[in-house]
Amino acid sequence: MRISKGWGQSGYGLARVTGALAAWLLITAAWAQTPPAAPAAPAAPPSWQQGRSAEQGTSTLHPFAPHFAGRPSSGLPLDKLKLPPGFKIEVWVEGVPEARSLALGDKGTVFVSNRNLSEVYAIVDRGGKREVKKLLAGLKAPNGVAFSKGTLFVAERHRITRYDGIEDRLDNPPEAKVVIDNLDPTSQPGHFWKFLAVGPDGKLYFNIGAPGNIVNPNYTQAAIHRVDPKTGVMETVALGVRNSVGFDWHPKTKQLWFTNHARDWVSDELPNDTLHRVTHKNMNFGYPFCHQGDFLDPEFGKGRTCKEFDAPALKLGPHIAPLGMRFYTGKMFPAEYHDNIFIAMHGSWNRTTKQGYNVMRVILDAKGGATMKPFLTGFLTDEKADPPMWGRPVDVLLMRDGAMLVSDDYNGIIYRISYGKK
Amino acid sequence: MRGRAAANIAAAAFSLLAFLAWPRAVLAADPAAGMQKAQVCIACHGPDGSSVNPAVPSLAGQPAQFVATQLLMFREGKRKDAQMSPFAANLSNMDLSNIAAYFAAQNLTPPVYKTDPASAEAGPRLARQFNCVQCHGAALVGQQHIPRLAGQQFDYLRTQLRGFKASTRFDMDGQMTSAAQALSDADIELLANYLAGIK
Repeated sequence: MRISKGWGQSGYGLARVTGALAAWLLITAAWAQTPPAAPAAPAAPPSWQQGRSAEQGTSTLHPFAPHFAGRPSSGLPLDKLKLPPGFKIEVWVEGVPEARSLALGDKGTVFVSNRNLSEVYAIVDRGGKREVKKLLAGLKAPNGVAFSKGTLFVAERHRITRYDGIEDRLDNPPEAKVVIDNLDPTSQPGHFWKFLAVGPDGKLYFNIGAPGNIVNPNYTQAAIHRVDPKTGVMETVALGVRNSVGFDWHPKTKQLWFTNHARDWVSDELPNDTLHRVTHKNMNFGYPFCHQGDFLDPEFGKGRTCKEFDAPALKLGPHIAPLGMRFYTGKMFPAEYHDNIFIAMHGSWNRTTKQGYNVMRVILDAKGGATMKPFLTGFLTDEKADPPMWGRPVDVLLMRDGAMLVSDDYNGIIYRISYGKK
Repeated sequence: MRGRAAANIAAAAFSLLAFLAWPRAVLAADPAAGMQKAQVCIACHGPDGSSVNPAVPSLAGQPAQFVATQLLMFREGKRKDAQMSPFAANLSNMDLSNIAAYFAAQNLTPPVYKTDPASAEAGPRLARQFNCVQCHGAALVGQQHIPRLAGQQFDYLRTQLRGFKASTRFDMDGQMTSAAQALSDADIELLANYLAGIK
């Protein structure tokens, strides 16, 4: 049983890879009968290359891995970070390996997950000192963390668990209690790390991504689901979602909004990653047939039309890799920022000219329109370099004072953005 | 023409300024501090990290991100080794970065290993066929978190490939396991032979 956890937004082309492998095994098996003569068939490519065309065969594009040990902020060009006037950014804490998703406890503990590693960290202020504690260890890709009414929920690739009364037991955490298990019966490569959030209905919302870059998902995959923590009953919320690693509910309409990663290896400009709004049951956002609401997949789209599917609320940019997103419901930022969506952009890798590596704000108007503006920029320093950036935003979190935390898994750093004199 | 030349000079001057104005990046990880900490490493990994023991990998010239990542995996118990695990157990994150910066800055002593003719012939083809070059680079010198293979010790390379193939070697993301499972034992022998002799 191998542990397979993806890089970045790359897909693991399970079906394609095993298909190629099977073909290759058949070929070699046939050769066992007769002496080999012709050159061997190429081996299955790395899974993040699944869906790459023959013309892209010499591409040097590749996903980026974090500096897992973290990098000290003293050596990073923090002065390159830019915000709108009146805002300031500081390093809130560093030395949190592969800091990914963020959750805030009732008593002020910040919980931080990771994905390639297997821990959940707790960050607490004690006696004027900020302390990074390794809270949970030995988990399987525990990317999702959410907090509600004293309980920390953790989404691993195969299950969702709860840790009740955790903030009173940070030095001696309770055993995990299972909410739902067997979410990953095959343990194969794929987008199976999960985002986790508690909805206004008290249910736990999570994604199960597509099992590869561009492949036919099974009926639980490429979807957003929810599970009732009281009963363990799971329901599907939205289909045709290649991989969503961020969602939140509009503070007024209470509708679910989520970010989604579109497929790789079409071109630099297509398709866009997207922002979606869920307005009713049984919505299908198109994967693998239609991307960004209006672009039929070159392979899976044959004989289909995008009219069969629900369109996104906004195109965010090709390969930009939107991850965590939250509505701004705090008081600290100016009025024009209230109810904006803040989105952490983790990419792009699958693009010859890189973009993203920033935090964007999306402003919604009364007519349902949405516009996007840069908020935090400066991690991307050379759009043609490899690597092009020195930091990668993963998630955003609102603190009770209205300040915003931003996690950066590339460096193991969490930044704090504030406005005014605070 | 003159405008472009001026622009080039301005650009060069700007890069120089940008470089001068960015000394903190150079100080981020401290190779000198790393060298102090690395004294215990070179007992097995060889002078400046150029190994003379076929079973022990060279660290000289490895990408810093790769060395730091592996040390972290040893420290966290994800990658296990009777010799390495205890050494890594007490290293701080800063130690990892410093040691990695030190070894990355060393030049690998060209290997004395001689690749046999069959491996020299088959190696480059296999490295393309089995996608080694896709991640480790055309010259197989690694990049970012991916290790240099060129001139690495033969026994070490063979042991790692066999371990990946058998799913007994820790693999962060499954990439090497799936790559190595396509290799026959004979392929592993040829590849290790080829890689170990690349100067």
